[in-house]
Amino acid sequence: MKIKFAYLFIAVSAFVLMGCGGADSLDQPDKEEVTGGEVVVDFDAQTMRNVLVSKEAIPADYNKPVYGYKAYKIPYETTDEEGNRIEVSGLMVVPTGVPEAMKQIGFSLVSDSHGTIFANAEAPTVIAETTNSPDGAPVILTALSGFVTLQADYIGFGDSLGHYHPYLLKSSSAATTVDFINAARAFAANNGIPLNGQLFVTGYSEGGHVAMAALQTLENEGEPVAFAAPMAGPYMLDRMGQGVLASNALPVPSFIADVAYAFAVRYGVNVDTLVKEPYASALPGLFDGSKARPEIDAQLTHVTTDLFTADAINRLTSLDNTYWFTQTLQLNSTAYWGPQTPTRLVQCMGDDVIPFAMSTGTASVMRDNFGAADIGVIPVEVAITGDVNTSIRLGHADCATPAYGVVSKIFADVRKATIGY
Amino acid sequence: MKKIVLLSSAAISVLTAAAYKLPEQSVNSMALSAAYVAHTTQADTAYFNPANMAFMGEKQYLDGAVTLINLPSIEYYNIAKTKEENIIIPSLHYVSAPMGDFRWGVSMVVPGGLSKRWDEQPGKLFAQEFTLENVELNPVFSYKINDQFAIGGGLRVVYSSGVVKSDGRDGTPYPIARDMKGDTFEFGYNLALTYRPTEDINVGVTYRSNIDLEEEGKANLYLGSIGTQYDASVTVPLPAALNIAVSKTWDKTFTLEFGYERTFWSTYKQLDFQYSQPVTNPILKQAFDNPIPKHWKDTNTYKIGATMVMDKITVMMGFAIDETPIPDETLSFELPDSDAKVFSMGFRYQQTENLSWGAAFLYDAKEARSIAKGVSDNPVINANGASFSGGGAYLTTLGLSYEF
Repeated sequence: MKIKFAYLFIAVSAFVLMGCGGADSLDQPDKEEVTGGEVVVDFDAQTMRNVLVSKEAIPADYNKPVYGYKAYKIPYETTDEEGNRIEVSGLMVVPTGVPEAMKQIGFSLVSDSHGTIFANAEAPTVIAETTNSPDGAPVILTALSGFVTLQADYIGFGDSLGHYHPYLLKSSSAATTVDFINAARAFAANNGIPLNGQLFVTGYSEGGHVAMAALQTLENEGEPVAFAAPMAGPYMLDRMGQGVLASNALPVPSFIADVAYAFAVRYGVNVDTLVKEPYASALPGLFDGSKARPEIDAQLTHVTTDLFTADAINRLTSLDNTYWFTQTLQLNSTAYWGPQTPTRLVQCMGDDVIPFAMSTGTASVMRDNFGAADIGVIPVEVAITGDVNTSIRLGHADCATPAYGVVSKIFADVRKATIGY
Repeated sequence: MKKIVLLSSAAISVLTAAAYKLPEQSVNSMALSAAYVAHTTQADTAYFNPANMAFMGEKQYLDGAVTLINLPSIEYYNIAKTKEENIIIPSLHYVSAPMGDFRWGVSMVVPGGLSKRWDEQPGKLFAQEFTLENVELNPVFSYKINDQFAIGGGLRVVYSSGVVKSDGRDGTPYPIARDMKGDTFEFGYNLALTYRPTEDINVGVTYRSNIDLEEEGKANLYLGSIGTQYDASVTVPLPAALNIAVSKTWDKTFTLEFGYERTFWSTYKQLDFQYSQPVTNPILKQAFDNPIPKHWKDTNTYKIGATMVMDKITVMMGFAIDETPIPDETLSFELPDSDAKVFSMGFRYQQTENLSWGAAFLYDAKEARSIAKGVSDNPVINANGASFSGGGAYLTTLGLSYEF
């Protein structure tokens, strides 16, 4: 009997400990299944409001709607400069928590082309996949204004990392954007995201140029665009190149060096005819998507005559029309046509990278030489202050956020007048 | 299903010892506020001072108890409060008949644990649930050197499981969440010494080794609704403890015991979650991957217990003063601990020659705790300061002892 008690105790204890083995399994996080893409960011409306208030992007008593932010990475195909089909990627951001009436009518699309990036980590889908957080223009366009925002990564970034980025090359810039609009529409149809068919086009800096290129393609294809508002783009590349190389110093040498590199690759010209050694040989490694702008600038010189060959400087600054670089810069410019879509070129008067005259000159050329139907220029400083005599001047980087705010309001006004909300 | 029931029963919270250690494991120890090291009388001797097994009678001893723990809410200002918890904990002890100068015993106890659940922000952002459950099997032996000295020791086999949940996705600007479950088996040891200079004076010294509980399992990390699962682990200590106690018995009826306990919490320097692959999301990395400083301090606990034997009834009372190991800088929502005073009482009734039963009640009175702005590592407490009130614990134990 006594022995049995001891055995019983040990048996009970062993049973308890054996029963302890193994923590309850933890289910995998719920993952929404979508066709033709993946969800990479999902903040509900209240969370977006909390985040924006905490970052002082909106006041605590902000009395307008703030929508949820759901971003999808969508792989799709496009055509590069050489005519090859390649796999690329883009980010589609959809508002959530919207009123039922808004869903019934459907969302308007904004094709937003992002500014110059050099590191793959800066690409829209890469940021979204890495941080799972809202970022950039879609916060304004989607969370605060209720548009579906589309941002192509561009060739050379995202899923096409490894391909050279065709910086400011018109054909593939337009194709990447237009193909993404089509891919996104198909994605929306396959996944029950209601669209109303309305399309707006915008983009900032390089994205301004890309947006203008895309607008031209869309018009050529007969695709209606409700309104276009490219921002701070270098639409006249030949004039831009002329101005940059005419200056003794290059505040940001990576920009013009990347133009030289991309154009040389595209047109099969040795880059060392444009860029001096040792910089010419370094360019493929600098623009492979592994480095951000500060790191690239640090490995280049800021002295124009040290970076560019005398031949390139002389022929471009004189706009030598027999020079291949001048010719291709003109060919890839997006200013020399006449949009029939209502278009506003939005830019800050204080822009320190792309002169404000680029927008006013482009508008004049488009209107006077190519018969643009409805084109104008909106100085951001005037738009945000309501004062045509304002002394405020914002530089290229500081201008981006208010410029998107201005464009967002323009698009929302058009949507209200045409769609009804 | 059985496993879940057993583990749930092992969940405890901030109890009579500061932080997450629970010294009381029987009717007698509960009634005496754990002033129960020098003068132990039941089968729970195997746990509280195995050296004392050498001086027990010739029989075998069995002791079982069930403790109901009520944990009132802790309030953070008047903004948020933890859930009130009601938990049942079992304990079981056995002491064998002597085998010459040797004797063995075994205990199954819950030596520590923690459960804090905040349903409201900002507590939920840091500790929607923070649960640590431990079950210990402690086989021990004693050796009687002579009628004055005995030594003892044993092996500690601890099963531990943990749940860590935090969620800032509703009502905070931090839309992050973590859901982790893990468990582990770990080992340690304990040592004991008893010196009886006279028949009515006992001096007991016991030592329990530190056990690092490396909880291994899975963790889901979320930003918004997007989650990723990782293999994950995190280590928390079940700290070493040294007990020194002396008891004096008068007329074989009244015993007074004084005890001192040093708990070596300073081994808890940081809470460092490890993941199977790098957490690349910079927001999640900052929130959930960077080590969280703890810098806990060793603590002192002073205890006194009185036992009065009256025919068939034995009456017991206890009192203890307990320090918290957690400095202001690292106090957070998963364990807003504070200094405490412990009051206890209980009785045991000798039903038959072999069977007795008893009950005990213990009240753990936690002090309110305030932290000034600007001193905490926790961003919310650092910005807003903290005032934690309420809390404490009410423990009721029922138990049976049998000797044969």
